[in-house]
Amino acid sequence: MAAVSTRPPRTLADLLSDLAGAGPGSDAAWVEALRHDLDAAAASAAEVGGWDAADPLRLTKRTVAWLLRCPRRAVAGESGEPPGDDVLIGHAVDAAAKVATLVPQRPPTVDSAVAFLAATGEDAAADRLAEGSPLRAEASARVTALAAVWPAIDPAWWPRVEDPVRCRLAGGRVTVGGRLDLALGGPPTDRPAVVVEVKAGRWYDGMRADGHLYALLLALRDGVAPRAAVTVVADGTTQIEPIRPTILAHAAERLAEAMAVAADLAAGATPEARPNPGCPHCPARPDCPPGQAWRP
Amino acid sequence: MTAPTVPGVPLAGRGRDAVGAADRVREAVAAGVEAALAGASGPVGKVHVSWVAALDVAACPAAFRGSGADGWGFPGWSAATGAAAVGRAALDAALDGIDERRGLGPPLAPLEVVRDWIRTAPAGDGGVAGWVAELRADGDAGTLAALAAGAGRWVAGFLRTFGWPLPADLAVAAGMRPPAWRPPGVADVTVAGGADARLGRVSGAGRFALVVHRPGGGGDDELRDRATFEAAAGALTRGIAPEAVVVSSGDTGERVRLAVDDGVLAAGSRMVVAVVEQRVVALDRGFDPADATPSPRCRWCPHRPDCPPGQARS
Repeated sequence: MAAVSTRPPRTLADLLSDLAGAGPGSDAAWVEALRHDLDAAAASAAEVGGWDAADPLRLTKRTVAWLLRCPRRAVAGESGEPPGDDVLIGHAVDAAAKVATLVPQRPPTVDSAVAFLAATGEDAAADRLAEGSPLRAEASARVTALAAVWPAIDPAWWPRVEDPVRCRLAGGRVTVGGRLDLALGGPPTDRPAVVVEVKAGRWYDGMRADGHLYALLLALRDGVAPRAAVTVVADGTTQIEPIRPTILAHAAERLAEAMAVAADLAAGATPEARPNPGCPHCPARPDCPPGQAWRP
Repeated sequence: MTAPTVPGVPLAGRGRDAVGAADRVREAVAAGVEAALAGASGPVGKVHVSWVAALDVAACPAAFRGSGADGWGFPGWSAATGAAAVGRAALDAALDGIDERRGLGPPLAPLEVVRDWIRTAPAGDGGVAGWVAELRADGDAGTLAALAAGAGRWVAGFLRTFGWPLPADLAVAAGMRPPAWRPPGVADVTVAGGADARLGRVSGAGRFALVVHRPGGGGDDELRDRATFEAAAGALTRGIAPEAVVVSSGDTGERVRLAVDDGVLAAGSRMVVAVVEQRVVALDRGFDPADATPSPRCRWCPHRPDCPPGQARS
């Protein structure tokens, strides 16, 4: 077994080097306890919300986040507007990380990221990030920043890009799913699982919640908790968070709360508007006085 | 039009007649297809009955009819449509390359397995390998990267769900083209199976299971429908009814086993014939909300603006 460094890892490369010989972990008992609690919470929510296995409540990291942050936004549906500049650059940075993982022999570029997005059916980036466009320079700078911190990943880590994970609760009456930007390790490899989320923009603490939720879903699926959640931000920040039982317990509490809010809404409760920095881009804003009143 | 019925056959226990059952499925489907085509107001054209078409019809016949010629045919290779085919071929090639005398070693590395296959896929093949060779020749790095991502997910999910080493009696579907069957005397109708692997040896006793691996998504109903279709398609294309269909889901890590009996074969046969029936109906009537069937698919359905039942579904 390789020696495990006592120095806290600061980069994804550090982390993977430290964990390569750490083994897959064994925490089935407390993961099972979390599942038990979430099953109970999901069953209660399904009773109120009226969901069944044929037509379940389907939650994602996005719906969980909005149910907790602003229920009014959670029921507003998707915006028909084209993605904003920040979102578009975020897509490019996210795609660049995936290209860097899939094609490690060449550093990612805006063009390779845009080509990857086009091949996956996302065409919006092609025109707006074309050579000479106003967004091109900023996107290029952020992709370069990401490439500088992105390591070549040993294939034995089983890198999976956009890895789907889904958890069925209460006999399938509630499902929680999503796609991890990058998943590493976990069964059947001999390495612990690591969750990697890639974010555009600047680091803020709220970014951690997505990684926590995905760590919880992986733990529930595999019966063993990931060892770390890593958030790589295009501003150069790499946040590495060891996954402790308390973190997963907190993620489970948030998920249970989101299920309860969704159940109340399904039962006819009026969705509460909670003004927040997302209000300017919210599709519900025209009919939401609190959202219109929000100011930065 | 009447749905076919499969005469009762003993499919369970020691008296299992898997070949006879498949023969009767073929007779029933052929009769159903013939009856459907006999009622057509004009030429129906080529009808390819795949699991995609069968599930589309099962979910909403109206939407299936409305999808038209573009929606009925194979949409062509893309990173999305090629992922499973490449993943399956890559896994099969990697398993073939293992020298078991040296031991199996650690689990195959999915992304490496896929990259190796993509690098060496032969040109000139009319299937997915030929398409990949064209991408290589064109230097289409974006599509190759997206394809590697999708195929890598497929392989990883398969290995995680079935474990390593894989079951000794598991065989990955090696051919580039799925097995197909045509009703006798009906040149324009083809039924194709979509199984990714099988467990057990195909013999007259039918003691084998077909395996379908799905990287993610889908509810319980769709999963059961897929298994039901593959049971009938397996009987039609192999001439032997499988004992079971196993559907694995990479996102949940679950494996669902549907035991194949008369009822399953009859239901699967009805799914096959229903595709032909709806193509016949489509000659005179495209999308029509009168027989629209609301489901979770309504959220993405292009006919939703013209479909009160779909709109009513929250």
